[in-house]
Amino acid sequence: MNKRTIMMAGFAGLALTGCIQVKAPDKPIEINLNVKVQQEVVVKLQRDAQDLIQNNPELFPQ
Amino acid sequence: MTRKLLILAAGAAVALASGFIMTAPARAQSGAVAAAMSAGTVGEQADGYLGIAGTVGADVRSEVESINIKRRAAYTQLAGQRGVTVQDVAAATGCQTLSSRVKQGQVYRIGAGAWETKGAGAIALPGYCATAG
Repeated sequence: MNKRTIMMAGFAGLALTGCIQVKAPDKPIEINLNVKVQQEVVVKLQRDAQDLIQNNPELFPQ
Repeated sequence: MTRKLLILAAGAAVALASGFIMTAPARAQSGAVAAAMSAGTVGEQADGYLGIAGTVGADVRSEVESINIKRRAAYTQLAGQRGVTVQDVAAATGCQTLSSRVKQGQVYRIGAGAWETKGAGAIALPGYCATAG
């Protein structure tokens, strides 16, 4: 009997605290496009780097 | 007419002579750097600069420093034209040197890691190196 009341009290406690709250974020959701931009910069720079190496052979001994 | 031609010819001769004086020792020195690269005492780094991997003479050391200063100047100029940082240009160049310039048996270094010797396969490039290009 005693155990049962304790369990009941426990469930009651769960029922009180266990509800799920769905809250809209207070900040706007940000989608980060910097990754793609950064990748494009690197791709462009790779070609520039190739030209730089070819145009300055004295700076790139092999 | 002939006088002008003479002056032009003299000017050209002076330019040629000074050109030879300027380039002749520079060529000899970068030959020493190339030899050090073959010997594995100088190598390319992913940061876009040459590094010293072993014991080298003072001439090689000073030429490596000189090349790196000139590289930095070239990177700075390109970075200004493209609106990116000098490190971006240097790193992109490092991707190129590691992927297509370092020959088998030569040494290279990525970041602050240990010097590695290039084997038969391609060098595992850092993640920021784009595959295209």
